[in-house]
Amino acid sequence: MGHAYQAVGWNRQKKIYDRTLLLGVVLYLAVFLGVGFALHPEATAETMILRALGTAAFMLLHVVLAIGPLSRLDSRFLPLLYNRRHMGVTMFLLAFGHGAFSLLQFHGFGDVGPLVSLLVSNPRFDSLAQFPFQLLGALALFLLFLMAATSHDFWLTNLTAPVWKALHMLVYLAYGLIVMHVVLGVLQAETSPLLAGLLVLGMIVVLGLHLAAGWRERALDEPLDQLAREGFVDVGAFEEIPEACARVVTLGGDRVAVFRYGDRVSALSNACQHQNGPLGEGRIIDGFVTCPWHGYQYKPDCGASPEPFTERVPTFETRIVDGRVWVSPVAQAPGTYVEPARHPGRAR
Amino acid sequence: MSAAREFYVGYLPQAPPALARTVRARVLLFLGLGLAGALLITAFQQPFSKAVFEFGKVRSFEGRIEVRPYPMLVVERPGAGDASRYLLVAFGKHGAEAEVGALAGRRVRLEGSLVYRDDQTMIELAEGSVEALDDSVRPEPSPSQAVDSRTFVGEIVDSKCFLGVMKPGNLKPHRACATRCISGGIPPILLVTDAEGLASYLLLTDAQGGPVGAEVVARGLVAEPVRITGAVHRLGDLRVLRADPSAWERIE
Repeated sequence: MGHAYQAVGWNRQKKIYDRTLLLGVVLYLAVFLGVGFALHPEATAETMILRALGTAAFMLLHVVLAIGPLSRLDSRFLPLLYNRRHMGVTMFLLAFGHGAFSLLQFHGFGDVGPLVSLLVSNPRFDSLAQFPFQLLGALALFLLFLMAATSHDFWLTNLTAPVWKALHMLVYLAYGLIVMHVVLGVLQAETSPLLAGLLVLGMIVVLGLHLAAGWRERALDEPLDQLAREGFVDVGAFEEIPEACARVVTLGGDRVAVFRYGDRVSALSNACQHQNGPLGEGRIIDGFVTCPWHGYQYKPDCGASPEPFTERVPTFETRIVDGRVWVSPVAQAPGTYVEPARHPGRAR
Repeated sequence: MSAAREFYVGYLPQAPPALARTVRARVLLFLGLGLAGALLITAFQQPFSKAVFEFGKVRSFEGRIEVRPYPMLVVERPGAGDASRYLLVAFGKHGAEAEVGALAGRRVRLEGSLVYRDDQTMIELAEGSVEALDDSVRPEPSPSQAVDSRTFVGEIVDSKCFLGVMKPGNLKPHRACATRCISGGIPPILLVTDAEGLASYLLLTDAQGGPVGAEVVARGLVAEPVRITGAVHRLGDLRVLRADPSAWERIE
């Protein structure tokens, strides 16, 4: 809900998150290098550092990609999602270290500039096995840079949410490029089946979690329009909606979060204006619908964030008839006040 | 309240207690998996060669310069054989032609760091350290008559990295570096590995015994399986394979 921007808006939870993240990265590098040099005393430091940075970045990318679907499948992973952008930027920095050091090591100090060398030193575009894998890594690093550089609410607001979201979906393209970078690069020389097996396992985990989360989401998109009457749709019994929580239904192709609070019911678009977080999986806290992803808040009756914040989401008219909740599938303009429906038997 | 019912808001100072415990346990699990991954990946790397690059350790050498096919320092030694030949290279991905090209046949003192693997030794020159000791010029020796004419299957590597500066200094991940090194004047070597895994090294030249580099790079033959038929010569303790680069074959 930032209306004024700071470089990093740290709070206690973010500090805990970042300390844990940093500790994890340091421990990973320490184990990789410590055990690596103990088992391979002939190894050169450059190679070990390159591999430590590269594998740390790749492993962290798996975590970054897994957190989203894990949070969809189990809300207890949501605290890991809250500050995921710091994990993404950390992953980029590790990847950048790997890329920059590789550029220096393999392309630097030669008869042409390192970037020229990157482009011309392997011309085998005609062969899959000999394909210039370093270019795939460089392209992935460029995409990761775009995402890391815009990983801030300033860019989210100024690029607009759809553009920002589309840009950050490039992480899947970057992941694919990195998989090919590894397969056509280091795995051509490092032939242990265990290393290839770990890569495949990582891909199965990432793909499997996304498929499982997508499967679960399908149920939410089942339309209820056939139960319409007088322009309203029966979305279920009032009593079925837990207090201060919502039921999410799909009306007219859009997901709507129907919140119950006290004797009242209000309906909002399910998509948080911040990052399309699922508002319907949030709670009403201090009278505000609170997004489960980053805690953005909206008034349930008008879909507007409390001042001075300016986010607004569409609202929907509601009715309660014989203990059942009816919602109009016609979205009101974002921030439009809609009188909450009241359950007569629940009046305070 | 159970962790599943608790609601987390990141900017609030305290996470709900049951949820915090659950998250802590899962983070530890992730951390454990990550560290196990680090352990497995680093342990299952291919063995590294015992090649050595004495980086930062500068020694002094005296000997006579030869520049054909590639710059080398010839150090006379007692006993069998005429001398030891040390390939000379410069800092980075550069040959030593610029440093010693004008000193063919001259006795010099120079400083540099050793690079060695198996029976092959190279010196990376310390920049500006080459000093001519006298004005006498000894003609460069001719290589021996061809001892053999054979076909070899192997991989073209740059001698500097393969002999110890990089590990691994061969195969595809090292291809770009080897290309730049050979393009910069580092002598190319054909690495031939027999069925028992024993490696032998053949210094590559053109059919007349002249240096190759640009041709190898232009044909994109570095770090790929190649078949080369040529005449094997001895140059002191070095084996040299003379073959026309245009006839070198890539094995797809």
